[in-house]
Amino acid sequence: MAGIGDGGVTVGQKGRDRAIADPGLAEQGARRIEWADHAMPVLRRIRTQFATERPLAGLTISACLHVTAETAALVRVLLAGGAHVFLAASNPLSTQDEVAAALAVRYGAAVFARADVDRATYYRNIHQAIEAGPDLVLDDGCDLVNTLHGERADLVSRVRGGCESTTTGVFRLRGMAAARELGFPMIAANDTPVKRMSDNRYGTGQSVLDGILRATNTLLAGRTVVVAGYGYCGKGLAERARGLGAQVIVTEINPAAALDAVMQGFRVLPMARAAPIGDVFITATGNRDVIAGEHFAVMRSGAILANAGHFDVEVDIGALQGQAVTVNRAVRPDTDEYVLPGQRRLLLLAEGRLVNLVAAEGHPPAVMDLSFATQALATAWLAGHHDGLAPGVHDVPAEIDAEVARLALASLDVEIDALTPAQQDYLESWRYGS
Amino acid sequence: MPAEPFKVADISLADFGRREIRLAEHEMPGLMALRNEFATAQPLAGARITGSLHMTVQTAVLIETLTALGAQVRWASCNIFSTQDHAAAAVAAGRGGTADAPAGIPVFAWKGETLQEYWWCTEQALTWPDAGDGGSRGPNMILDDGGDATLLVHKGVEYEKAGGVPAPSDDDPDEWKVVCDLLTRSLASQPGNASQPGKWTRLAAAVRGVTEETTTGVHRLYEMYRAGTLLFPAINVNDSVTKSKFDNKYGCRHSLVDGINRATDVLIGGKVVVVCGYGDVGKGCAQSLRGQGARVVVTEIDPICALQAAMDGYQVATLEDVVGVADIFVTATGNRDIITADHMAAMKHQAIVGNIGHFDNEIDMAGVARTPRIRRINIKPQVDEWVFPDGHSVLVLSEGRLLNLGNATGHPSFVMSNSFANQVIAQIELFGKTDDYPLGVHTLPKHLDEKVARLHLDALGVRLTQLTKDQADYIGVPVDGPYKSDHYRY
Repeated sequence: MAGIGDGGVTVGQKGRDRAIADPGLAEQGARRIEWADHAMPVLRRIRTQFATERPLAGLTISACLHVTAETAALVRVLLAGGAHVFLAASNPLSTQDEVAAALAVRYGAAVFARADVDRATYYRNIHQAIEAGPDLVLDDGCDLVNTLHGERADLVSRVRGGCESTTTGVFRLRGMAAARELGFPMIAANDTPVKRMSDNRYGTGQSVLDGILRATNTLLAGRTVVVAGYGYCGKGLAERARGLGAQVIVTEINPAAALDAVMQGFRVLPMARAAPIGDVFITATGNRDVIAGEHFAVMRSGAILANAGHFDVEVDIGALQGQAVTVNRAVRPDTDEYVLPGQRRLLLLAEGRLVNLVAAEGHPPAVMDLSFATQALATAWLAGHHDGLAPGVHDVPAEIDAEVARLALASLDVEIDALTPAQQDYLESWRYGS
Repeated sequence: MPAEPFKVADISLADFGRREIRLAEHEMPGLMALRNEFATAQPLAGARITGSLHMTVQTAVLIETLTALGAQVRWASCNIFSTQDHAAAAVAAGRGGTADAPAGIPVFAWKGETLQEYWWCTEQALTWPDAGDGGSRGPNMILDDGGDATLLVHKGVEYEKAGGVPAPSDDDPDEWKVVCDLLTRSLASQPGNASQPGKWTRLAAAVRGVTEETTTGVHRLYEMYRAGTLLFPAINVNDSVTKSKFDNKYGCRHSLVDGINRATDVLIGGKVVVVCGYGDVGKGCAQSLRGQGARVVVTEIDPICALQAAMDGYQVATLEDVVGVADIFVTATGNRDIITADHMAAMKHQAIVGNIGHFDNEIDMAGVARTPRIRRINIKPQVDEWVFPDGHSVLVLSEGRLLNLGNATGHPSFVMSNSFANQVIAQIELFGKTDDYPLGVHTLPKHLDEKVARLHLDALGVRLTQLTKDQADYIGVPVDGPYKSDHYRY
């Protein structure tokens, strides 16, 4: 295959293809991947296991993931398990080019990803990743599965199944399943107790704030931080912002989540009332137009807008653009200044995309270790159990989640108790009363 | 003159009190270490100490530490509600005595004193029995909390000098009228004459000094010193780091929530709580309330404390801003008229109002009581529902007095061990080295503050790192401390 029009390099190599920024970055990328690997002990254990058991031998996997050093560790596990891996980026901005290069040049994956691509290139990369006809898919946001069903329906029937790693993606998958348009089983890898805890709550909680701090260097203590959405990401964000001394306001549409926020001592307000008093706004809802025109109109000058949710639709950038008198791009890296009438300045971070991935480094490797361990084990499980699974969205089997936690504890040298036979018996018996 | 050896609610509670004291001793390693250290030296032999301090189980351990070091002690509580009757009974019965054959110290304290009884108790604690040489004697040391014992002595002296007690005006608080009544009677029974000054003047002359426990009392002492009316030297125990930081911050952090729970059993999570004042007490209160899931709003008059609260992530507002939306109000200012009757009239139905500052004037209870057509319904001891004419009501804890003491059991033993170890060391200093402490208000030297902390480390399993000589020289401190300059703020 030749002639990718965005200036990237496309080289046929041992039957595999790639579209990456610069293969010369492979050395640098390999160092970064090795560094991350040290912080991902659970995946290392699984890689050793897969290298022996080869649960994915001969299978083709198409993946659409953030191409980062941590993702590379997952790809290495899949390769060790015997799979052919075709990888596209799940975000136009988040690719680490040196990692893409190393995966393609050093580790033998087919990679179609580079930082800073336009929309057309983004989707062309996804097309290339599914071209080989996958047996299994890994998705992050459902763009790959969606493209597969919408534009390569011919390839759907051979897919055994796949994993989706985000809440947003699972939401779209459920929509497809409800419309009877999902052609194979997908495992909702976003939605396990371990993943919600480590990835959404602790990972997003830390890295989104990291992104905001790197982009703006603002002091959070004493500031009012508005967290839109009190799901697992929002919970993590609110706790950590409070830990840094911010006064946190939560906005919600779900009464149960709002009540949870109130009981945690957070102030809950509608966005219309939070808008005039917030200093930093973080969206984590999975929905669109969470911060919209009427909100920009009343915000304080200097307010910072950041998005932690999957897509760039949570902040209504069109409306912001419409209200702006001037837009000063990149006043700092990843920070655009929108000057509104009356010299009010609003600072949009990372163009409204995932601020933790764009302005910082995404989740720390230790967090991604657990998420990707779940996906690695679930993918291998799917390879062996796909016959019994109907098309639709399925939960991660509880024993896989427990196994991930077990491996994580082992890597932390944490020992826990085991039930005694008497305790097991007690729990299973209905005869004991008060 | 004192007709009774002691006065407590029920001496038969002594056994229960003794059991609690025994548990508290384990939680008060600082005091127990001082008993060991000074068992033979007896540095308080010859000291006659009048104590005016909440008569709790922890105070019992303090009292018995003072006596173990050789002191004679008489005691009153410094709050009409704060006495734990079983602790008072056990102190009266004494370590070697029983309820039937009491052999403890003269203690005059019970929970729920009237104001008249309260000041009578204070006077009893200040009045030693006839020593056989004619006339009563007073203490030679005072251990005060809030300064009431010191106040009574100073006012007695002032009015003896003036030749009488001025008539209180109608605007004066009820409590002041009680003090005036007491002193009027006292001056009439033991007036001075040409050959012998009056009781209070003689008493004050024998006092070597006072050690004061609280911010409020310390504030009074500094005012008297500036006004030139302070009669004897004072040690400000409150401002030892191991006192104010620990007792005010960690003690209130523990006992505020305890008091609110015991009084109301209301779920604190999700509630909006206004903490008035962000000093050490307010900081501890805000932290524990947040820990329970409350949304805390702070009010402040001091820009530094207000900024601290903001930097700690709290909303800072005026009381008027939030009076209609908050569920719980806690005063921790040390000032008066923080929550007025008008504020309470504007609160939500069944808002909870309590005070953790020293006196009961932070919440204007007199103003509330004067509200036309207001009704007071006593829910249970120390919990009153005040029903306003419009039908909404406000729950007031402990009648606006210290709710952590009135509704719960005050600071936990471990915290009080820090405070009281400072008290004991201050008493030893002032009694033994009187000449080192000229008339004025002093704080304990830093090395003694550090000593108090040291006495508590083992009990918590703390392993302290030791400076090397080179390290000590590098930062210019002795290897064994003191480690910080006096202005260091911790």
